[in-house]
Amino acid sequence: MIINELLLFLILPLAVGFVNLFLPVVLRKVLTFLVLTFGLVMVYLFYQRLTDSFAYFNVVIFSLNQIGLFIVAFIQILSFIILIFSVNGLDKYSEKRFFFLYPVTVSFCNAVVLSEHALSFLIFWGLSGLTLYLFATMGKTHDAPKAAKKTFIIIGGSDAFLLMGFVIMWLISPSTGWSLNNPQIPLQGEYAHIAFICLLIAAFAKAGAFPFHTWVPDFSQNSPVESAAFLPASLDKLLGIFLLAKMLTSLFVVYPLMNVILISIGALTVIVSVMMAMIQNNAYRFLGYCAVSQVGYMVMGIASGSVIAFAGGLFHMINHTIYKSNLFLSFGSVEKRTGTAELDYLGGLGNNMPLTFLMALIGGLSVSGIPPFNGFFSKWMIYQGLIEKTAILDSGFQLWLLACIIIAIFGSALTLANIMKFLHATFLGRRPEIYKDIKEAPVNQWFSNGLLSTLCILFGIMAVALPLKMFIYPVVEASGMNIPTFVGLYNPLIIILLLIIAFLVGILIYGLTAKVRYDDVYVGGMPALEKFRIAGTEFYNEVRNFTLLKSIYNYAEKKYFDLYEMGREFTFSFSGYLQKAHPGQLQLYVLYMVIGFLIIMLVV
Amino acid sequence: MNFELFFYLLVFPGFLFTAILGLTVGWVDRKVSARFQYRVGPPFLQNFNDFFKLLGKETIVVKDSVKSMFVIAPFVSFAMLALVSTIIGTSLFFNISFGGDLIVIMYLLMIFSVMVVIGGSSTGNVYSSIGFGREIKLLLADELAFILVLLVPIIKSGYQINLENILTAQVNGMFINSASGIIAFIIGLLCIQAKMTLPPFQIPEAETEIVEGPFMEYSGPLLAFWKLNHFMMYVIFPFLLVLLFWGGFSFNGIDILWSVLKYLLIVVLMIIIKNTNPRVRIDTALSFFWKYATPLTLIAIVLAVFGY
Repeated sequence: MIINELLLFLILPLAVGFVNLFLPVVLRKVLTFLVLTFGLVMVYLFYQRLTDSFAYFNVVIFSLNQIGLFIVAFIQILSFIILIFSVNGLDKYSEKRFFFLYPVTVSFCNAVVLSEHALSFLIFWGLSGLTLYLFATMGKTHDAPKAAKKTFIIIGGSDAFLLMGFVIMWLISPSTGWSLNNPQIPLQGEYAHIAFICLLIAAFAKAGAFPFHTWVPDFSQNSPVESAAFLPASLDKLLGIFLLAKMLTSLFVVYPLMNVILISIGALTVIVSVMMAMIQNNAYRFLGYCAVSQVGYMVMGIASGSVIAFAGGLFHMINHTIYKSNLFLSFGSVEKRTGTAELDYLGGLGNNMPLTFLMALIGGLSVSGIPPFNGFFSKWMIYQGLIEKTAILDSGFQLWLLACIIIAIFGSALTLANIMKFLHATFLGRRPEIYKDIKEAPVNQWFSNGLLSTLCILFGIMAVALPLKMFIYPVVEASGMNIPTFVGLYNPLIIILLLIIAFLVGILIYGLTAKVRYDDVYVGGMPALEKFRIAGTEFYNEVRNFTLLKSIYNYAEKKYFDLYEMGREFTFSFSGYLQKAHPGQLQLYVLYMVIGFLIIMLVV
Repeated sequence: MNFELFFYLLVFPGFLFTAILGLTVGWVDRKVSARFQYRVGPPFLQNFNDFFKLLGKETIVVKDSVKSMFVIAPFVSFAMLALVSTIIGTSLFFNISFGGDLIVIMYLLMIFSVMVVIGGSSTGNVYSSIGFGREIKLLLADELAFILVLLVPIIKSGYQINLENILTAQVNGMFINSASGIIAFIIGLLCIQAKMTLPPFQIPEAETEIVEGPFMEYSGPLLAFWKLNHFMMYVIFPFLLVLLFWGGFSFNGIDILWSVLKYLLIVVLMIIIKNTNPRVRIDTALSFFWKYATPLTLIAIVLAVFGY
């Protein structure tokens, strides 16, 4: 058999992408829309009946299992919703490329998830990185080419590690060969460790976890917002965390210390990027850092070795893709109306764009983990898992894990602070006069944000009934674990019901008594002028200037912690020496040859 | 739907109970504060009078504000406080875990700060915006220590996060009787001071400096609800401390007196701290919590892990 239903996930969007090259823009949109709708239908059908694998030359190349189907489902759902946003708003030139790259990326991402053969995994992983680079080159900002190069080098470099990892895995376990179907390699000896670390680097670079996260903020700042919401906020998170989950459940068998190390990396990711987000003034860059910090929670959950936290980590992954693309897109609407992403120049737009504000607020509260939104439920699961894990360890590890838990919880308070600053600078506070006539975002934009916000609320309130039972518990079971029972107690339905009742009581009292009058804002007895306006970007200067943090921030701004920048410095200084060694003098080259010859003689 | 649920939420131990007790304790606060300053202080029902009088006053809404947020903010925080008081109260009085655990409470309480800043800054007033920044910074300052404080009873109860289980774990000895417990309790008291924005941490409101900050534009029933929220916290936070460290309440004979005394002692301590300290700057508050309170609580955590 040459064609299998499974291949439709790969072939159809790919074909649409290439057909799109020859079509007018309107048809490109229609076709992309159709293929993604069809993708949703296929996901539904596959959930009814999981099909077999697809083999070629007697080697299984693609296969579909629970976790794969789960990831493909969310690739399809998110790309569908983000497509609704992208229908208008891009300029003519970008649109043409965008609607070629968009379905092609969906195709490659699907293929990565379906791959059971290491080589096809590697190829499609690399191709999805390539489309990421092509999206990055669409940026219009001054730094866009730089950001694109950085993205390409980090992601492309991590592909090399992935290749190396697979080759070593193949060497260690020749019986399974290139198959990624449950080789369960025990993490013993240096080779297994090297392979594990190589794969880990690839997963972390793709998902954007510390220390390979630095491309995410740059990409977010410089690329079109649709692509930022599409790739670093959604699909790349799905792929990176998918690889991590696959590594920990089926590729390797890890020991408890490795769990603790990974949890620590997760905690570090949370705190480092949330602290960096605190000092950003560009909204996209800020959201990029926020996106990185959320990866930390996923890593903590998935790597913890506790079932609740594992399920929580997967849940957090989909929650993150939902609320972070919501935030990106909501701000995208603002930027498309106002023309700037610099928080210093915005403010008070909540009145002009009430729907967009509402969506951004819902997204913001979800990302900060405020109940009853979805972000809270997954974080709550992760904390429970970690606490449960802590209880069975000995004192030293207990303290270590407790430190990680504290960092994670405090990280969400910091996220809340960041998001509040973002909301204040964009939607609250005083509006600059030039934005007086700004209108609400176009229908398709707030509709797509509205879908994402609805998912935020729905996944928060009906967490167990909808996402957990439908998508995540099957994955947990298929990975050979039992469905977790919660240690703590959280009943979102009761919480939201009581919140609404108490809220209505309050509103009722207000409604019965209120006599409303409208007036201006006064400062010092005079109607407030525009110069009495603070954007709020300077709110956290005290934190930035805090004794211990000041020097760290200064180093971070000099990019001392950016592996890419450090690597670049090193490469340039090294090649500088090489350059100096080649002055173009014949005698010198002859000398080099003699020295080289002598060395060869000595060695031989 | 369950009738009990509504009773818990709206009457006891939720809204009505918390509101009445809060307003009464608010009177104690005002009276004691007045005595500190050699004044007579208000009559017993003054807080109730204030509340109902504000309900009858005009609400002035800023023309160019995000009006919906301005109006719903006090009610969302009110709803949250009613809910938290229900969750804490049911465990304290009926020994039932209900709705959520300690982590849920920790996150629910953050809604208060969120609503204060959103409601306040929706008006576009510059003082409200300054108050916004301060409120969030104060949240950052006290939250770290507060998380650590809440972790101590979790560790001491053998990693339980349900309120009921934390109470049960204290049957054989209250956590406040241990070294870690007492440290966490004291820091917890200071965190509460900051969470309620009482002096010395009254930084976001600072009447003399930024004219009540986020609450500046509020008037009439909306202001009445903000005031009510504030007084409700006089019940919620001390109850939380009693639950986590002081073995909860007991209502058998003479124990009733002890229970009331426990609560009153915490409230009086809060009032004394409030009246004997001047307002600090936000950076002082940050360094107080991050440099002193947090390391101290970390020590408490280490002690708790090793069973002290």
